[in-house]
Amino acid sequence: MRYRNPSIPEGINTSKVHPLREFALRSLGALVLIGVLALTLGYFGGQLSRWLVSVETEARWGESLREKFEETETPLPLRSYLDSLDARIEAVMPLPAGMHVKLLYNADDTVNAFATLGGTIILYRGLLEKIPHENALAMLIAHEMAHAESRDPIVSIGSAIGIQTAVSLLLSGTDAAPLQDAGLFTQLAFSRDMEQAADLAALQALEAIYGHVNGAVDLFRVIQSERRDGGNGEPPAFLSTHPLDAKRIETIKRIARERGWQRGQPTTPLPAQFRAWLNIKVGSPPERE
Amino acid sequence: MGDILIFLTLLALGYGFGQYAEKKHYRSLIEREQILNGLPAIASRIPPADVFYDQQLVIGNVVISVDYFKRFLAALRNLFGGRVTSYETLLDRARREALLRMKEQAQSMGAKLVFNVKYETSSISKGRKNAIGSVEILAYGTALIPPRNG
Repeated sequence: MRYRNPSIPEGINTSKVHPLREFALRSLGALVLIGVLALTLGYFGGQLSRWLVSVETEARWGESLREKFEETETPLPLRSYLDSLDARIEAVMPLPAGMHVKLLYNADDTVNAFATLGGTIILYRGLLEKIPHENALAMLIAHEMAHAESRDPIVSIGSAIGIQTAVSLLLSGTDAAPLQDAGLFTQLAFSRDMEQAADLAALQALEAIYGHVNGAVDLFRVIQSERRDGGNGEPPAFLSTHPLDAKRIETIKRIARERGWQRGQPTTPLPAQFRAWLNIKVGSPPERE
Repeated sequence: MGDILIFLTLLALGYGFGQYAEKKHYRSLIEREQILNGLPAIASRIPPADVFYDQQLVIGNVVISVDYFKRFLAALRNLFGGRVTSYETLLDRARREALLRMKEQAQSMGAKLVFNVKYETSSISKGRKNAIGSVEILAYGTALIPPRNG
């Protein structure tokens, strides 16, 4: 008997697919799949949580959050000024029954303000110090109140849970973890939509209070210059929770123009002692009742 | 953003080095297989009965690890199913390399044939799937060496 090993043609045990082609097709497919599922579950998660969690329940949750953020007692004149602004804005921006906005002041240097569950709005001294006039401050409060009014904080939480579920359904246990970012981008897209809606609602409120929306964009100019000074310019649009400042300012100007809300009236100044109020040193946090 | 950059860099590095190594390895495999073609490796368990050969165990083994790019491609397969083409070439190379190493050992012993050739494979990554993705391929057989001086 003769024994031989014939030479086997190359490539019979392997597939003739270019790895880059395979990569492009598969990752694109995976991104689309995750994107669609994240959008769907994110949307329904948000709507479902709005429906499941009553305004009262949300208010209770917000109450427990307040203790976490209200670290400093608000100086009294500032308190009453904020409350009066709050009342004027609430008068033109009806909130869902059972929701009460509570403006919290935090003496931290953070240049930020945000709305969280149950109509709780946190304003940091860092941002208030840079506000140029009352219109910008009203824009800020109205914007955050608009988030509360459309129950954005609870919807965000619901959609985040939905998106997380979508991502882990598809990717758990695989090595494709980098694709999880697709879920994150979906989340950011949701929150950008909310920001735009809140901007519009806030402009409407300003128009109702002052009869014009002049000065509204100054709020975003403050934020924009703050970001520049911070050394880290704006992130690319798709990576941002908010619309880009420049684009946002443009949008506000366009809306004002289109609706005839820009009539050249002067802006209302802040109370003369506003900055002094911010620097009043107050003792320990208020006692809870 | 940083995460994505790191991920893409790793992918590019994995692809670049992986492809370079693969091409180079295939060239070497084809060349060495031709050289060793005169020494057949046979799966049959029954050795030729015409001559009384000396018999020796010969083994060749390879441990391979998957690159980042191939691993990611395979992970995408978890989502869609189908052929894991990125692993096919890897395992093909490992089998051929293991067999070649076995044959090289047999040749150094002056063998004429390697009989009863078998493959074994074991995964080194057991239980640590995400840390190591390595597989050992072992080829072994019985080298038949013509007795010296008849």
